[in-house]
Amino acid sequence: MSRRSPYEFEGPAPEAPVWWTSLDDYATQQDTSPSARADLAAEMPEGAWDFSDPVSRRGFMTLMGAAVSLATLQGCRRPVDKILPYARTPEDVTVNVTSFYATVIDRRGDAVGLLVESHEGRPTKVEGNPDHTGSHGKTDLLAQASVLDLYDPDRSRQPTLQGATKTYADFEGALREALTGHTSNGGTGLHVLVQPSISPTFVRLREAVKARFPNARFHTWEAASASNARAGARLAFGQAVVPVVDFARARVTVSIDSDFLQTDPGVVRNTRSWAEGRRVRSPADEPSRLYVVESNYSNTGGNADHRLRLPSREIEAYLKALAARLVSEHHIDLGDVAAAVRGAQAPSGVDAKWVNVVAADLAAHRGASALVAGTRQPAPVHALVHVLNQGLGNAGQTVKYAPVADANEADDHAAEVKSLSDALNANQVQTLLVLGGNPVYDAPGGRALSDKIAAVAFSAHLSMHADETSEKCKWHVPRAHWLETWGDAQSLDGVVAIQQPLIQPLFSGRSDIEVLGLLSDAPSYRGYELVRETFRTQNAGNGFERAWRRALNVGIATSAVTPVGPGLRGAEIIRSLSGRNAGAPLSKTNLEVVFAVDAKMYDGRHANNSWLQELPDPVTKITWDNAAMFSPKTAEELGIRGGDMVRLTKGNRSLEIAAWVLPGHADNSVTLPLGWGRTRAGRVGNGHGFDVNPLRTVEAPWFEDGFSATSMGTRYPISQTQAHHRMEGRPIAIETTVAQYREQPNFAERMSPTPRTLPLWRAPNAYEGHKWGMTIDLNSCTGCNACVVACQSENNIPVVGKEQVGRGREMHWLRVDRYFVSPRGQGDADERATSDPAMAVQPLGCVHCENAPCENVCPVAATVHSTEGLNEMAYNRCIGTRYCANNCPYKVRRFNYLNWHNDGVYQPLDGDMPEIVRMAMNPNVTVRFRGVMEKCTYCVQRIQGRKIEAKRENRELRDGEITTACAQACPADAITFGDLNLRGSRVSELARTDRRYKLLGEIGTQPRTTYLARIRNPNPEMQG
Amino acid sequence: MSNDGPIQDIGEKHLVVPGTTFRKITEAVSRVTENPAPRGWWIMFLAAVSFTGVLGLAIGYLFFRGVGVWGNNSPVGWAWDITNFVWWVGIGHAGTLISAVLFLFRQKWRTSINRFAEAMTIFAVICALLFPGIHVGRVWHAYYMFPIPNSMSIWPNFKSPLLWDVFAVGTYFTVSTLFWFVGLIPDLATLRDRSVNSVRRMVYGFLSLGWRSSNRHWQNYERAYMILAALSTPLVLSVHSVVSFDFATSVEPGWHTTIFPPYFVAGAIFSGFAMVMTLMLVARVVFKMNDLVTMTHVELMNKIILATGTIVGYAYAMEFFIAWYSGNEYERYVFLNRAFGPYAWAYWTMISCNVISPQLYWFKRLRTNIPLSFVISIFVNIGMWFERFVIIVTSLHRDFIPSSWGYFHPTPVDIAIYMGSLGLFFTLFLLFIRWVPMIAMAELKSVLPEASAHHHAHDDHDHHHAQPAKAE
Repeated sequence: MSRRSPYEFEGPAPEAPVWWTSLDDYATQQDTSPSARADLAAEMPEGAWDFSDPVSRRGFMTLMGAAVSLATLQGCRRPVDKILPYARTPEDVTVNVTSFYATVIDRRGDAVGLLVESHEGRPTKVEGNPDHTGSHGKTDLLAQASVLDLYDPDRSRQPTLQGATKTYADFEGALREALTGHTSNGGTGLHVLVQPSISPTFVRLREAVKARFPNARFHTWEAASASNARAGARLAFGQAVVPVVDFARARVTVSIDSDFLQTDPGVVRNTRSWAEGRRVRSPADEPSRLYVVESNYSNTGGNADHRLRLPSREIEAYLKALAARLVSEHHIDLGDVAAAVRGAQAPSGVDAKWVNVVAADLAAHRGASALVAGTRQPAPVHALVHVLNQGLGNAGQTVKYAPVADANEADDHAAEVKSLSDALNANQVQTLLVLGGNPVYDAPGGRALSDKIAAVAFSAHLSMHADETSEKCKWHVPRAHWLETWGDAQSLDGVVAIQQPLIQPLFSGRSDIEVLGLLSDAPSYRGYELVRETFRTQNAGNGFERAWRRALNVGIATSAVTPVGPGLRGAEIIRSLSGRNAGAPLSKTNLEVVFAVDAKMYDGRHANNSWLQELPDPVTKITWDNAAMFSPKTAEELGIRGGDMVRLTKGNRSLEIAAWVLPGHADNSVTLPLGWGRTRAGRVGNGHGFDVNPLRTVEAPWFEDGFSATSMGTRYPISQTQAHHRMEGRPIAIETTVAQYREQPNFAERMSPTPRTLPLWRAPNAYEGHKWGMTIDLNSCTGCNACVVACQSENNIPVVGKEQVGRGREMHWLRVDRYFVSPRGQGDADERATSDPAMAVQPLGCVHCENAPCENVCPVAATVHSTEGLNEMAYNRCIGTRYCANNCPYKVRRFNYLNWHNDGVYQPLDGDMPEIVRMAMNPNVTVRFRGVMEKCTYCVQRIQGRKIEAKRENRELRDGEITTACAQACPADAITFGDLNLRGSRVSELARTDRRYKLLGEIGTQPRTTYLARIRNPNPEMQG
Repeated sequence: MSNDGPIQDIGEKHLVVPGTTFRKITEAVSRVTENPAPRGWWIMFLAAVSFTGVLGLAIGYLFFRGVGVWGNNSPVGWAWDITNFVWWVGIGHAGTLISAVLFLFRQKWRTSINRFAEAMTIFAVICALLFPGIHVGRVWHAYYMFPIPNSMSIWPNFKSPLLWDVFAVGTYFTVSTLFWFVGLIPDLATLRDRSVNSVRRMVYGFLSLGWRSSNRHWQNYERAYMILAALSTPLVLSVHSVVSFDFATSVEPGWHTTIFPPYFVAGAIFSGFAMVMTLMLVARVVFKMNDLVTMTHVELMNKIILATGTIVGYAYAMEFFIAWYSGNEYERYVFLNRAFGPYAWAYWTMISCNVISPQLYWFKRLRTNIPLSFVISIFVNIGMWFERFVIIVTSLHRDFIPSSWGYFHPTPVDIAIYMGSLGLFFTLFLLFIRWVPMIAMAELKSVLPEASAHHHAHDDHDHHHAQPAKAE
């Protein structure tokens, strides 16, 4: 039930005249001290007209009124919203015609070029830019979801000084004043905390600020920092370079604790090339092979052909043993470093095959293999991986090295935080600027910093929300969303793209570069001028204006840089590798704690994004929460069940968190996802999950041992979208091995055949025109969930909140099912079934059955078949009997049990969807009311839009012209949509490949979506 | 109403206690509607009305917020709503069976209980009809289900079993109501003639449609009654068969079963008889009707409960056999899951109540035991509710795709609406008992020995030719 305060009284504007009745009254109004406010509050307590009971008197009256007015239901109308049409239409805007603008987004150190869909100046949907090498027209789930951040009603709207509303002019004046003190001392006492950036303008301006204030200190920090990789490269090569792996060419890939398909840098690029390397068109093709060594069960691990679960701490030892084997048995030349690994042994308990066979496989694929180290692993591991890639001849072949965007960035982010806290503790900081980021929440020891920050003379925090850090800083300045500001970004392979705003800042925020511009005393600190200035330095000459326009138009400013071929520094590496790997063996009393970048929250910056909160975690399928991941064995030893509250303790640090048992997790290791448990994220994000940062230290930001875990004896409710993880031996997400595929190429269809019975009557529709269909290639799908968010964004799919997900009412039209697959026919199968299962993923939306069970049973004919084979929903006709959903064998129909747009996640405040969130809606898709069934439409609005376009241009539709939101987003290109009747169309070709099968084909539903079975490529020598 | 010889002649027992006279019957039955209600009636009525009020509030809340106030979810799109619907429709079966089918088969023992059973049918069907109406997401468009010519030029989908339901249950309700009302006419005339105040006279006078007990009236009446009985008889079979089509025509494992129509009909008779038994035993005590509703009735009804309960048990067993025999893995899983999965508690409740408890009736001593009959009738009511719950919820909660498996938890609103529907039922029933002759006086008189043409009473010769319904 909605609870509303009857009136919202706005405080008087600062310059408003004071109306007073007596001298006492005047004094009271002038007095803003807390005691006076308390007096005032006691006089008129807030909500005096409301009982404190959850069901307020007004709420109760509303309810009673509803009960009484049942008889008058006929007269009910939905509220009418007034629209404001253009009085004079802007020149380049045609109402109802969407336009796309090129821009770019920073995704953990890689730039993803985008085309953003705009409706009358309102960005609603993000797509990849096909011309950008970081994207190739694809996106990841965070890019898809970021458009909702723009319309976050909880974004701060005004600069504030200790909570009081101010103007930007006030802030600029105050900052200039604070800087005057620093101009004389060269910036001593001026500290700027920034996030790592790939923006050339950012780097240019930072250097300008450093030039102006030589003694100023810049500290770089990000909780999800990839600085280990950077430090590793510097260790190995003496310079900061970034490896770009071409997974398409690497026939054998070994991931050393790297989640390169979900959370590590370059996800879109990696997923694309990895899927390319796995592609199987016929039995003659050989997919690449992936070995993963990791502690947590990551999405990358789920895609592995062989996966070794090992605590993160022991992975280095494994890598050394692998290197030793490569040197001793396969004579791989590691130069001086060979001495450092000679005789290295794999950690105890690791099957010798994992060293011997993997080494043999790598050695057999010299120049066509790759090792990838995860950002969690320390610099020496990265360095050793570089050495191995060089030794195996992969460097320059499958692994290329590109110069980093910001060569002057510090290598060790943890040390950066430490230097700041040291300076704060020594009271050396007079002026502190925090540009983005949220160090009070996510820096190691951030809580301890907070009081020190509060004591700094001038402190300012630039951020989208008034968050944990803003609370401690004097000034808070709203940070503009990336869709509102000018900027630029350099991708891993060196392509620079211009970040072009789609909309004026909704709340007049500022960007990082604008504040840096202010600091650098640039002539103009408007983002546009600053970015153009950078571009001008890169494109000197008369062609500037033309080049600038072109860069805005196509979305890329420069082409990829030439990879560098750096030389190794053996001695440094040897020094770093020696004397490591100590510590007591891990056990249930000496647990390793591993911090993981969250696939949805990242480092916590997306906490107020309801799409991401509700998106199930790709591996655990948990929504709205994080939890500590335990392996089944460790959980059993500790007496912990999933959903128990546990206390993790080491020394004086401790953390209370819900536990979750994750099959396939390494024993004696606990994974803690970062980015949850925010307290000042906003209405959506507050209070979801557990903040694990208090356990993180500067010394061990990624993993640390010596923890103990005790069950607290209480339970914590966790909402999952999928509670059953076994496939029950059913032919659902079908997969096989390369060998078996070659033996029987059409194995999948034989497992799920369409019945061949004579029809009783002629098919009512021959589908002579278009015949829309889809193929989903399970061999390419990595289970990253970008399609789910893309679908949510395209189709205005509501969010229901944690409690309703727990009730099983999530609304996702497209979901990615994840099953654990146990090895079959092995002696220890029972034990391995839960401890070390493989993973199978399957995106599943409406499959548009030609013989649809849902259509027959609808009493009001609200779901019907179109002449083009779409199973259509007429929302206006639907009365919500839910019979169709019951009769759907795929369970893809979603019912609006409540009015999610009103009763959804914003309810705590005003019970109604804020106006601004509605701006994120796609105007081409109906927003569904409560009581209506909905489901995947194959993006019918896109089909109709392109058909109209083609008709207007008097031509046939081309293949690939129409694509669904999921297919467009999919970085692995696993989803293909098109016309099955169009000869030579991609979808019709794919639907005929030998791996095809119809999901639950034996029921006779004749789905239009065809799945292509997954082919795993296990190494036969690893078996047995 | 034919009089084919007194029942004693064909070796059966007295259907009323010997010594019962026409006058006694009229007195006993009419008195209930004329005297002030006993305290027990008031207590029950107030309780029932309170529950009806809860129903009203719960439905108001449901309409205000949406179906989400229930526990239904994906995959369990239907839960208590349709369970209640099928349960009430099932209960509504006994009335027509007793009045129409037993009438056609000349089962004269029905006369003591048929009015009761018919009233119960109508009220149960009213409760049943409530649920399809309120379970839809957009109640204000529920009229889309009816074939009303409209400006949208669209008809309902005649292929949908849910639409068949609308027709089947609607027809059943109409015919049952007509049948009940036609049977009431002579008795209402009796009440009219006994009226001492003008309001009663006018109301009963209006309702008895000018009944004067003439020979012609009786002839037309009996013909009409016979025709309506003949019309109702196929409905007994059709209604629950059609209701079972909701499930049987779907593709869901556990629903897609050809055994459903006969199985549902047997189950419906089973539950209907149990509910009649429950109500009858209560009324018998409260209104002291032991002479009219005798042990013979109880025993005969218990025999039917035993028979139908055994049929239902056979159907349960056959479902398992077919699931195994079909070789369909989804089908097999659903049935194993019913018996041993998360809903095993519901399944075994159903089996204990429906299959095991009626088996006690093989023993005469037990089936003529009034307290035990009452307890078992309650058990059967519970068991039959669980049967529908098991069919609907356990089939839906784990079907084809394991990723979508779920579990259903009822909410307080689910419980309030179910309890409220019981309140509505009892409210209507108590009003019926208070204002309408609860036993068909005219028909009951026809089974008295005096009603027989061959009866030779010493005292009064008039009874030979007079039809029994003459008001006294």
